[in-house]
Amino acid sequence: MPKEILDKPFMSSQITTDDNDKPVYSPCRYECPIHTDVQRYIHLISNAKYEEAFETIRSVNPLPSTCSYICHHPCENACRRGKIDAPLAIRHLKRYAIQKATEYRKKNRLRPKQTNGKKVAIIGSGPSGLTVASDLADLGYGVTIYEKFSKLGGILALAIPTYRLPREALKEDIDDILAKGVETVLNCEVGKDISLKDLIAKYDTVVVATGLMKSRNLNIPGIDGQGVLLAIPFLIDVFSNDNREFKLGKRVVVIGGGNVAIDVARTAKRLGSDVEMVCLEAPDEMPAWSWEVDEATQEDIKINHRWAPKEIVRKDGIIEGLVVKRVTSVFDSNGRFNPEYDEHITDFISADTVIVSIGQTVDTTFLNDSPLIVDKQGKLVFNNHDYLSNHPKIFYSGEIVTGPGSAVSAIAHGHKVASSIHQRLNDSKTDLSFVEIDKIGDIPETVRNVIKARPRISISLLDTNIRKKTFIPVEIGYDDASALREAKRCRGCGGGAVVDIRKCMACMTCKRICPYDAPVVSFYSRIRQEYCQACGLCVSTCPSKAISMRGMDVESFRKDVIGLLSEKNSNIQTPPFLLYTCITQGLNPEIPQDIKVVSLDCLSRLDVLDIITPFNYAIRGVLLLPCNDDCKYHGVDYWLKMKVLHAKKILSSLSIPQDCIQIIFNNKSELSQNINDSSLNALIQRHKEGLQ
Amino acid sequence: MIVGEQKPFEEIWNMIRQYRRVLVLGCNTCVAVCHSGGEKEAHILSEVIQIKASSTDTSIEVNHMGLVRQCENEYIDDAIHNLQTYEAILSLACGVGVNFLSQKIGSIPVLPGLNTTFYGSVEEAGVFAEMCVGCGDCILHLTGGICPIARCPKSIMNGPCGGTNNGKCEIGVDTDCAWYLIIQRMKALGILHLLEEIQPPRDWSKSFHGGPRRMFVSHVMLNKREDANK
Amino acid sequence: MKVGSNLEKVILSGSPVVTVELGPPMSADATGFIKKANLLKGFCDAVNITDCQTAIVRMSSIAGSLIVMKEGLEPVMQMTCRDRNRIAIQSDLLGASALGIRNCLCIAGDHQRFSGLGRFKGHPGAKNVYDIDTCQLVGIIKRMRDDGLQQGGDRLEVAPRLFIGASWTPTAEPLDFRPINLKKKVLSGADFIQTQGIFDIDLFKQQMQTIRAMGLHEKTAILAGIIVPRSYNMLKYMATSVPGITIPEKIIHRMLKAKESAGSDKEEIKRRQEQEGLKIAMELIHQVLEIDGVRGIHLQTISWEEVVGYIIKTCGLYPRPKIHS
Repeated sequence: MPKEILDKPFMSSQITTDDNDKPVYSPCRYECPIHTDVQRYIHLISNAKYEEAFETIRSVNPLPSTCSYICHHPCENACRRGKIDAPLAIRHLKRYAIQKATEYRKKNRLRPKQTNGKKVAIIGSGPSGLTVASDLADLGYGVTIYEKFSKLGGILALAIPTYRLPREALKEDIDDILAKGVETVLNCEVGKDISLKDLIAKYDTVVVATGLMKSRNLNIPGIDGQGVLLAIPFLIDVFSNDNREFKLGKRVVVIGGGNVAIDVARTAKRLGSDVEMVCLEAPDEMPAWSWEVDEATQEDIKINHRWAPKEIVRKDGIIEGLVVKRVTSVFDSNGRFNPEYDEHITDFISADTVIVSIGQTVDTTFLNDSPLIVDKQGKLVFNNHDYLSNHPKIFYSGEIVTGPGSAVSAIAHGHKVASSIHQRLNDSKTDLSFVEIDKIGDIPETVRNVIKARPRISISLLDTNIRKKTFIPVEIGYDDASALREAKRCRGCGGGAVVDIRKCMACMTCKRICPYDAPVVSFYSRIRQEYCQACGLCVSTCPSKAISMRGMDVESFRKDVIGLLSEKNSNIQTPPFLLYTCITQGLNPEIPQDIKVVSLDCLSRLDVLDIITPFNYAIRGVLLLPCNDDCKYHGVDYWLKMKVLHAKKILSSLSIPQDCIQIIFNNKSELSQNINDSSLNALIQRHKEGLQ
Repeated sequence: MIVGEQKPFEEIWNMIRQYRRVLVLGCNTCVAVCHSGGEKEAHILSEVIQIKASSTDTSIEVNHMGLVRQCENEYIDDAIHNLQTYEAILSLACGVGVNFLSQKIGSIPVLPGLNTTFYGSVEEAGVFAEMCVGCGDCILHLTGGICPIARCPKSIMNGPCGGTNNGKCEIGVDTDCAWYLIIQRMKALGILHLLEEIQPPRDWSKSFHGGPRRMFVSHVMLNKREDANK
Repeated sequence: MKVGSNLEKVILSGSPVVTVELGPPMSADATGFIKKANLLKGFCDAVNITDCQTAIVRMSSIAGSLIVMKEGLEPVMQMTCRDRNRIAIQSDLLGASALGIRNCLCIAGDHQRFSGLGRFKGHPGAKNVYDIDTCQLVGIIKRMRDDGLQQGGDRLEVAPRLFIGASWTPTAEPLDFRPINLKKKVLSGADFIQTQGIFDIDLFKQQMQTIRAMGLHEKTAILAGIIVPRSYNMLKYMATSVPGITIPEKIIHRMLKAKESAGSDKEEIKRRQEQEGLKIAMELIHQVLEIDGVRGIHLQTISWEEVVGYIIKTCGLYPRPKIHS
């Protein structure tokens, strides 16, 4: 969370840009509550740099694995690709990157560099509590988490169904945090097992992050008695206590239309019951995420919309069913939740079990024997700016003050509170909160029209028939090829070319070469960010080296080249070939040992220098393998050919044979079947032989 | 815009091989526009020199950089201390830059990496065309804006000569006959009659033939204060 | 009479004029050149001595002129603008006049690029001069001769006596500007005009019509250029590659037929083509001389001087008028 981790652009800070040329966030980053640099990690994925991709994610997110399973991904909703074909599958790619980096992660838990002697207690270990703990530990605080339950993670560990969030994923996240030296006191409920007063005495600051753990109940006839369950205790019982044998009735009715209600319904389904849902809202009004609703429907869960519970009908105390009444409207004219009913229109849903999932509320046990106060409406008292309570040593964090929301919003809030605490305890003016900058404009229609559509690569889901019976994850992740293809759909919004106006002499080269008409040239060139697709053609052609990329790493592959060519490999008798390719995944592991592979997001970013410089080392030749028909940009093949011609001309003055540089243009059929196909390697082999 | 093209590498190599520490110095104005002498080309050339050096077991330390212009004091002043750490500077500026830098740098050779060719337009991406020779006595108003001095290989003032060949020049089909263009243009402008006038021999003293030229713009000169006091 | 050269006198006499072109040798020895000059003796009124034609270094025109004068022929000294600036040119003109040379043809000169294109290396790397152009050179000579003034304004003690010629390309684009081109040379002071080789008679006739309408034929003597073609290949080359020459397809076709009629014998092929070439040249001579305003011919044999006598005789242009001063 510290700023230096958050904001590590590739772009050199040495350049001077036009005043109107302010950096902007890509929509994905802008909409992410913690402003994850999505584009950067996607770019790293497409360069097969999973560890760096993971670090990019982890730099702002203490629960990366968790989010990769359950995040509601506002990034995807904002993705500009959505206006072309479909948004990038960002969450899936995140999960892919994290999984790829699993071994690395286990070996590279981040430990705080120093301690500052200050101690903080955090009550509750949900996403926001864990975030505060992680951030403060990073900053050198001694952090202790007090957790009521026997596990860390709050709702994530207790109630989120395992088919959505496998607990191993959560464990990875928690292990990261524990590795920072965060201490935990489990099975300890503050207000009961220990009082807030005691904590205040022991710690410099206490954070209350207990979330919304108490399920609301209904007040309708028949609610009391057996057969009525509350959502959270039900889920905790199934998922925390591993009570897969939970005895539900044959026919279960779930009341509620939120995400928790969906979780409850799908869980009940998996326990073997027939499940129906009753919710006030019409389909488009439901608070649950649409994809969750879709998955529930696929699992044969019937959702009764615009009905409200009226009465639970019992016979001899045993539930026979639920009487529902018609909802005429859910929201009032001000958009506030204020349902109205027609009491005369009713229906009856037969059931033997009713699970109430109409929202959660604060469990106020922690207030016992504490200096904290509530106002006349019974609400907690706190400062809306820094979330300090009425007591100078107690902060609130997470849904307890923000109300119900997503995990990532709770993480964002945790960052905010950690920042407030750090400022307060250090009397520091340093603002550690996120840099808030504008987001990029929409893709202009002219540009949209030239971008090739390339459908989103969906991940596969478990077959619904299996799904209904099992608690293992529904989503099956990407294989390497699919992940790469999907990552390459990213348009690099806001991460594209930027002109150093001290170097630009308005030569028009960028304007002439740009396939998207992004540059506007007057006294110097300004590359319109909303037009730029970050292909990098201008960067590699600018004669005064005035153009760089804001967000794309177009430099680090050069270090890779030097690293590869400098490395001594005793197995290779003769000097190696260097292969530049943007077909990252297709080449290993069968690629011959004497071909050193450097992967780029796109060969458009290759400079003539990149073709020449390797000849400073002992190599036999440079091979270029572009993705050809698969290229997401325009004109790359042509400019690649021109660069190769240029390089050949230059090298001919050194008497280096022209055929030491070869572009491998595949015909489509050779590649289309499967980029993993060994035919590709055969092709490279053939060209290699041609060079010898 | 001044256009130049890089010298053949062999020629460059023979110039610099005797030095152990060389800076390839790009010029980021005119000659960068024609992709011959900007910082990028300087970078490429420094790489090529390195390859040549290592393949011939020659030890040369080569670096590269670019200046905004090599023909003005201030741009050079900013970098002069760095420049003076080299044994030789291979300048990719036009001849003006090489001359100017040579005057300023002290006892360090400044070597020309480019052949400065002409003042040119950018006809299209990658195509540069000579259109003016800086003769010092412009007559473009008499020739429809097309210069017979620069664009006719014989600089004929009362053209065309007998060598015009269906709109092309006798020197080759790649060269347009300037007089053909002049006539077409003046016809279109309705001023062909101007060409009936016989142009007398020119006064070449205003051109390079009159000796190296200087121009004084006194109102921006810094050493003219006594004039101001008059 | 301006200078009293034989050429001027024949022109004034009204008889059809014959000039022939002769290139000096790439040699410091003039024997062959003299031999060739003698082949022309009696068949022309003046001989053009070219000035490093196609930018190949040859014996200078001024020296060549003096040599043919010794052989009893009258030279037309050619002077290009390519190799000399106004200082050198005026200096040479004074010398030429002092040596008795009386005719001077002003031309731009082939660009030095040409010199390397053929079988010679030439000097394509030479620096050309082009201080002045043809039109200006004509004017300079006229001013020297008639006003006794150098171009710079200095007075000459004795003015040179030179009959001033200029070249003209009538049958090449831009056709409508060619008459204006001629007019400028005439107004500058051209006493006679030798044209680029004419093959397209119809086109030449049209241009002459314009010239007559402008009255230029009365202010200058136009001598129509006649090139004697020797082979199909030569015609083809001229048609495609020599600027200023337009050759109608039917003439090329005639030569092709002549070539093809000869069978496979190389000698016969050569003979038939040369015969046809002579026929073509002589037909052209008849045709140009019929055109009102054409005052004679300027014959270019391209190193085939042997046929000049035959052509002149066959065309009824022999003997050449003997004018006594």
